[in-house]
Amino acid sequence: MNWLREHRMAFSVALARVREMPLSFSFNVMVIALALMLPLAGLTLLENLKPVSRELAVEPEISIFLANELPRERALALNAEIRDSARHAGINVRLDFIEREKALDILKQRAGLSDVATTLGGNPLPDAYVLKINSSEQTAGPAQIEKLAAALQHLQGIETVQLDAAWVKRLAALLELASSVLALLTLTLCSVVLAVVFNTIRLQVLTQHEEIGVSRLLGATNAFVARPFYYTGGLLGLCAGGLALLAVLGALALLNTSVTQLAQLYGSSFRLDPLNPATVLMLMLASGALGVVGAALSVRRALQSAV
Amino acid sequence: MSIISFSHVSKQYPGEVTALTDVTFSIKEGELVFLAGPSGAGKSTLLKLIAGIERPNGGVLLVSGQDMRKVSRAALPFLRRKLGLILQQHRLLNDRSVLQNVMLPLIISGSTLKEAEQRARMALERVGLSGKADLLPQVLSGGQQQRVSIARAIVHKPRIILADEPTANLDRESGAQVLSMLQAFNAAGVTCIISTHDERLLQNADRIVELSQGKLMSIHEAGSEVGV
Repeated sequence: MNWLREHRMAFSVALARVREMPLSFSFNVMVIALALMLPLAGLTLLENLKPVSRELAVEPEISIFLANELPRERALALNAEIRDSARHAGINVRLDFIEREKALDILKQRAGLSDVATTLGGNPLPDAYVLKINSSEQTAGPAQIEKLAAALQHLQGIETVQLDAAWVKRLAALLELASSVLALLTLTLCSVVLAVVFNTIRLQVLTQHEEIGVSRLLGATNAFVARPFYYTGGLLGLCAGGLALLAVLGALALLNTSVTQLAQLYGSSFRLDPLNPATVLMLMLASGALGVVGAALSVRRALQSAV
Repeated sequence: MSIISFSHVSKQYPGEVTALTDVTFSIKEGELVFLAGPSGAGKSTLLKLIAGIERPNGGVLLVSGQDMRKVSRAALPFLRRKLGLILQQHRLLNDRSVLQNVMLPLIISGSTLKEAEQRARMALERVGLSGKADLLPQVLSGGQQQRVSIARAIVHKPRIILADEPTANLDRESGAQVLSMLQAFNAAGVTCIISTHDERLLQNADRIVELSQGKLMSIHEAGSEVGV
């Protein structure tokens, strides 16, 4: 249990050093927390937006509206013709028929539109098909899909063909881009954290220069000298990570009032949720680990020049 | 049996400053050896080589059987734990109490706090400073600080004590106290190597290794002289 005692002792030395300079430690924690806040806030936002984008179909979708007075038999017969056209275009599709009555029911269920549907009196909606390109068949390019849409337009009984997925694809692409930007931002700000911890520990090493020198003369190993600094770095990282997460939580609470109000206007219950506990724990550990790495780099450099 | 052995050892500092040239002699376990010579003779360098603070450029230096030119950086701390260092500048930590200063070598070696405190108090008692344990070193006199330094050097029961000018900056009475303590530890079987240019101390020596300008000039055994 010698190692446990050594770690306990190193931890208490680190705590004592923090207590000796509480103001300096607090400022450093704040600086690191500020650097960590941006990627944490970005990650929280992305984690909230990802489910929204998943709910929206990202596979290309073609809405096929039939002529208003088209007999139901003809409407059903179009199923085979549409599939033929798709086969011709080399695209494997899933086809759903939506009866005009069902479409009206869906419209009535949509918040804010039930009154409109009632006011209209009769059913103004036509029968329709929704053609979805199987996600396993994503090899179909946009030109191929547009060609199919044009071919469908010429089938007898089809009034309008609408290619729906473009904006959803753009949103997905934007989210992908945001993820990449966030990853780059995280890397940059992690470097900032490393630099701050490195410098903080370097200053501490300079302050403890005499103690380190004497300890080395008395037989202290590198590990003995370095351990308290690792704990200080870890504490810096953990405290800063905790502070950054608290700040993001506070910001979410403030933002959520406006976000939920806005979402309600669109009939949505969307709100910005905090990160799940497992992710929070992982981020705290990562933040602590960053502190330890910064400290290790700093101490290693200092010990190389020591006796 | 030799605990320290110099064989044609030389040391040159960067900038072509030669501190030791072709030094050959050995020290047996339990000996009290004085290193004598004027300032710049190489006495401190010789002690630094034994402690592993500096490394020889040439020759072979064995300390407790370990070749100090080849000993790894990782092994050095464990070798130093066998040594007790008494330095001219004391090098006590001024933000820690006398007791905490003396406990330090034991904590470094992995003792429990309780055990370290117990042994540190005993060491302070041996140097006559049991009443000063809770004071900061800076409030003590030079002689008392040197005694704290001695307590720190002996607390972990080292096999070898290296003392670099331990009586410099001390008055006659404090100097005599320090010397008698070192003699007492030597009588208990600890090998003591003391560098000094204080002629009065040399009267108590069993063996004197005389250095001048980095060269070994002579070795005086008690009552006789051995040529080099």
